[in-house]
Amino acid sequence: MKLDFEEVSVAGLAKSYGPTLALAGVDLRFEAGKVTAIQGSNGSGKSTLLWLLAMLAYPTRGEIRYGRYGVSRADELRGRIGFVAHQLQLYPGLSGHENLVLAAKLQSIPYAEKRATDLCEALSLGEYWNRPVRTYSRGQAQRVSIARALLHQPRLLLMDEPATGLDVRSTESFIDLIEQQKREGAIVLIVTHEAKFAGAVADRILHMDRGRIVGPEA
Amino acid sequence: MNTLRAAWLVALKDLQLEMRSKEILTSTGLFAILVVTLGSLAFYTDPVSSPNVAPGVLWISILFCGILLIGRSWALERENDAVFGLLLAPIPRPSIYIGKTISALVLLFTIELLLVPLCLVFFQIEPAGIMLPLLALVFLGSLGFVSTASLFSAVGIRTRARDLMLSVLVFPLVAPALLASAVATRELFAGASMAEVIGWIRILTAFDLLFVGFGVWVSRHLLAET
Repeated sequence: MKLDFEEVSVAGLAKSYGPTLALAGVDLRFEAGKVTAIQGSNGSGKSTLLWLLAMLAYPTRGEIRYGRYGVSRADELRGRIGFVAHQLQLYPGLSGHENLVLAAKLQSIPYAEKRATDLCEALSLGEYWNRPVRTYSRGQAQRVSIARALLHQPRLLLMDEPATGLDVRSTESFIDLIEQQKREGAIVLIVTHEAKFAGAVADRILHMDRGRIVGPEA
Repeated sequence: MNTLRAAWLVALKDLQLEMRSKEILTSTGLFAILVVTLGSLAFYTDPVSSPNVAPGVLWISILFCGILLIGRSWALERENDAVFGLLLAPIPRPSIYIGKTISALVLLFTIELLLVPLCLVFFQIEPAGIMLPLLALVFLGSLGFVSTASLFSAVGIRTRARDLMLSVLVFPLVAPALLASAVATRELFAGASMAEVIGWIRILTAFDLLFVGFGVWVSRHLLAET
């Protein structure tokens, strides 16, 4: 049975990489059906926050709760988290479709091939889905990465600069896609430098500086 | 998803990538052939000295070939940070280590199937009666080496000194398995029977069980955090 949760909260969250303090004690709450955008300068801790929420890194201090579950249920919780990272995390030698099928099988999604094909069509990956990812433009690869994050209908959707490389039309359909995720009750967290994009999709916009939230929830 | 099913998917993905590019098999295979050819030309051997020289050349070739192969296999995971795609999946962490070990072992053994007959031909060693135990020795020696090297390559995802670490830590750790393999191969080439090398096979099996078990246990923690 899949774990479910209606909110994600972090308390006193801190992360150090050696002497560098990437996150300096963050307290936040993210609710289902809401989109939060995080902005801030380079190195302000935005991506680190996403990595901690994706459980790709562990905090130095503080706690993350996914509803009533903690990171001790990490293996199961990962089945409820979708992550679009800045590095695309795709195998360049596999096609977009093969990358999606692999991810779907690892997520234990029934009819993995069909699910991957459906998503390819939904995201208009049609004409290049069978070519190796290394031949894709950044925007095309970004769409595959977004498709992979949505494969398993995640409850928590984390996205690091998801609009990078997308053209105007793709950005518009991407905004529609986020709206759809929101309607379906997903908790969406987007790190972006683009103020216009953040304004178009987000219910609230947070700002980070030197590992802290400096507004509007500071 | 259970560990073995996830490991199988990871291994299958590696083999699919290799079948498409043939990059690892071509580069490491050619390298291995070159080492055996150079070895057979450099050491002027006769039927008496051949059984003493051939095992060294064979295992040096397997060792270098294995290091190249495993390095390349994990480099695929670092490209585009692809390994984090695996780490995001709800699969047990050891399955990534097991899958990578299986795929590396399959590729290395494929090269060895070419390398062993070549070595026997170049060093004029009679294959009758020794092929089966020889392949068993090569497989067990390779398993010990690959399982250890894969473990340290997994650590290498998070460190820049991965090549240094691989050579500094892996070679001393796998030394007992490599020595056992080389000595058993020498005895086999010198005409020892299966019964006479079974002790070495037992030592290699024990080493393999220890290192695969240790690898599975440690990989749970090694791959858990970045």
